[in-house]
Amino acid sequence: MSRIPIGLDVNGVGREVLVDPSRTLLDVLRWDLGLTGTKENCLEAECGVCTVLVDGRAVNSCIVLAASVAGRPIVTIEGLARDDRLHPLQQAFIKHGAVQCGYCIPGMILAAKALLDRTPSPTVDAIKDALAGNLCRCTGYHKIVQAVQAVARGEFDGEGGLS
Amino acid sequence: MNGLRVVGKSVPRSDALPKVTGQAIYGADLSAPGMLHGKVYRSPHPHARILSIDTSRARAVPGVGAVLVASDVPAIRNGVYIDDEPILARDKVRYVGEPVALIAATTPDAADEALHLISVEWALLPVLDDPEAALRPGAVLIHEDWEHLTTHAELTRRENLCGYSRLATGDVDEAFRAADVVVRDRFRGHMVHQGYMEPRAALARIEPNGSITVWSSTQWPFDIRDQLAKLFSRPKEQVRVITTCVGGGFGGKIPLGVEHFATLLAGATGRPVKMITSTAEELTASYPRQGITVEIASGVRKDGTLVGRRARAVLDTGAYAGYGPYFASNVTNQLAGPYRIPALWLEGVAVYTNKTNCGAYRAPTAPKAVFALESHMDRVAQAIDMDPVEFRRRNIYQEGDVAPSGWKLEGVGLGETLEKAARAIGWGEPLPPWRGKGVACAWWATGGGSSSVVLTLNRNGTLSLASGNVEMGTGALTAGVVQILAEEMAVEPEDVSLITGDTDATPYDFGAQASRTVFSVGNAVIRAAEDLRRQLLALAGELLDVKPGRLEVSSGAVRVRGEAAAARAASYAALAEAGLSRGTPLIGRGSYIAPAPDYDPSVFTTHLKPYLASPSFHTHACEVEVDPETGEVRVLRYVVAQDVGFAITPQYVEGQIEGGVVQGLGFALSEEIVMRGGHVLNPNLTDYKMPTILDVPPITTILVEHPAPLGPYGAKNVAEPPCIPVAAAVANAVYHAAGVRVTETPITAERVLRAIRARATSALER
Repeated sequence: MSRIPIGLDVNGVGREVLVDPSRTLLDVLRWDLGLTGTKENCLEAECGVCTVLVDGRAVNSCIVLAASVAGRPIVTIEGLARDDRLHPLQQAFIKHGAVQCGYCIPGMILAAKALLDRTPSPTVDAIKDALAGNLCRCTGYHKIVQAVQAVARGEFDGEGGLS
Repeated sequence: MNGLRVVGKSVPRSDALPKVTGQAIYGADLSAPGMLHGKVYRSPHPHARILSIDTSRARAVPGVGAVLVASDVPAIRNGVYIDDEPILARDKVRYVGEPVALIAATTPDAADEALHLISVEWALLPVLDDPEAALRPGAVLIHEDWEHLTTHAELTRRENLCGYSRLATGDVDEAFRAADVVVRDRFRGHMVHQGYMEPRAALARIEPNGSITVWSSTQWPFDIRDQLAKLFSRPKEQVRVITTCVGGGFGGKIPLGVEHFATLLAGATGRPVKMITSTAEELTASYPRQGITVEIASGVRKDGTLVGRRARAVLDTGAYAGYGPYFASNVTNQLAGPYRIPALWLEGVAVYTNKTNCGAYRAPTAPKAVFALESHMDRVAQAIDMDPVEFRRRNIYQEGDVAPSGWKLEGVGLGETLEKAARAIGWGEPLPPWRGKGVACAWWATGGGSSSVVLTLNRNGTLSLASGNVEMGTGALTAGVVQILAEEMAVEPEDVSLITGDTDATPYDFGAQASRTVFSVGNAVIRAAEDLRRQLLALAGELLDVKPGRLEVSSGAVRVRGEAAAARAASYAALAEAGLSRGTPLIGRGSYIAPAPDYDPSVFTTHLKPYLASPSFHTHACEVEVDPETGEVRVLRYVVAQDVGFAITPQYVEGQIEGGVVQGLGFALSEEIVMRGGHVLNPNLTDYKMPTILDVPPITTILVEHPAPLGPYGAKNVAEPPCIPVAAAVANAVYHAAGVRVTETPITAERVLRAIRARATSALER
């Protein structure tokens, strides 16, 4: 199949790429744009490590065609920290010990962001529902729930330096 | 412990920041200029002769750089205790998923296309998928040449039996005669995968001088180096293994994964080659936890005293022995359990079958053996009409008790874990119908092996620690070891940087396995810090004109003991500068290998694990609800009381416990590699059901601290054992909720409902 040019809006930056129309967003993010913070594993939308935001919604980028999201705002884990400040979720995941091997964490944080952007004060059940598509094999999930709850309570609204 | 500044407190791990920002690089993220993508052609049959292989069409696919079959690779056979496994199947295949051919191509798609164009002519052979059948006289041989294979330990083996170990002490027959009751049971445990989120991955490159460089997310880079050197007949020094971040391992990233395949393809093409395994490959052809059958009998007096035990565990090792002979040994320690029993006859048997080579998964052999043991313990208590907690209370190890092979136990916190777990779950309180509580105990060893570290004082007064260990996700290195170093050198954790897991750049380490990292690397760090402090004090003594004996380290400087005056101090930065200007850089070195306890070897027959060093002790308790209509088990709450010796980083110790319990719940209730006739029926994450965030109950963690005399600050193993007693605790709770004993994992709704109906039927028939 011949390649087509598409324009992707990734973390607020316009990126032009020439891609085979059958290629997934995950593949293009990781290998064409070098954004390997978005992880790959099952490639069939079961594990959630490839979660990114498209139009503010959490999607499994392994089953989204790159060409189908041309021009729509895409946020990856690399787009969260701004001006040397960590996003509150990033701070909270560190503070609450929610990070072990870390491979699920980019997807987990983005799924949590999609929730909190719409529902700033979710119930525990709503947090669990929002993260149900993201497998974590290390933590047993408790500290992840605690981290999201702490952000919802506004505990990480202040400074959060990168160093 | 008093006076501690850094250890015992929860500090952020040094690798958390790159992990939350997406900057951490894992094996799966690797790439190199000019890189090719490697794939493995795997056997579709569980047992078959290879009559011919035609790779001509695969070679013709545009972009394909190499296609390799057995005749293209070294004819060596590899193994841990038995060299039984070829690099690529030569004459026959022994399991579905066995590697037969390798392909490298410019894109993954081209490699996939070529994969489908390989054509093999097979002659199918009878399939052995049941270890008991494999042990019968006259069974088809998985390895016809078993008598001629090279071995690396004294083993008992014959035909399909590839390992036999025995732990025997006292006279069990006599004990059973003297017992009031002898209870006999049989249990089965199933095959599960480690479930790490990052697939196994590696990138290999052949250097201009012919040496090999491999990047890999392995847990044990020095072993990967040694195996590559063996397979390719190189000196070890011509192989360099560099680790990336590890996206979970749990034992599954100890053995060779795809490193040797990437190396072969890099050699054949002259280009770097990257390989990454698919989920289907992971669930059919990796190193999962093996299935088990346990027959167990215990003699007990009416007062609750255990007098003897006979047990036999048969481990389904799969097509190649791997760690099987070692597991056959270790399982006997688990069948003994943390109990005083004067007479034991405990056998472990490892058997070849036409399945993938089973391997190490978090506390290998323990979760399934303890499912059997602790279910049985409840049945024994029931037989003498004794409360399960009281029954355990009367038999558990106490401080100073002697283990079966004669070594004295120290730092035994088991009793405290039992009492605290029972109290936290509300043991004995009345419950509504179809609810029940269960309890289970366990013990586990701190792994041994050698660790060395090099500690360099930098010119700005910070410290660089080089260790051949790997941070596999627990925080053992990036928090625990860093905290120990900060404590010992009187600096802050953020003043420590780590260089890890590079076989050319870091000193030898036995790897991130067996819950050994904090213990072994931590002890090596304590020694390196002693060495460095000695150098610092000597140099500062000269500069300050004070006897070194009057000096101490404090807040990143050497000071005169008891004096507050800053003038009489030398900062680490000043000392580093002075050391460099004199040509004597300040570098500390430390090594540690845990000593073996004194034990009686006559207790053992061909046994590779004769003691559990610096053991940890555990009691788990849970409350479940069983749905009488569907048989579904819901775990309502869960309690862990774990004797960790000393918690270096309490928050991360809790994290290990919570994560271990949830893996245990997956094993107990939902996860299974389902096999029929040697074929995996569910090689995907839709049907291989790991717990999601919706599946986990509240978990209460109680840390009990009975220090291990040899542990750094008293710390003992933490990470593996929280997954051990879970299935047993759930099974015992199900019994108390529904009155049915499930003797096979996973404890699915189907099994529970079948047991409930069988009980109803037998009640009607009575």
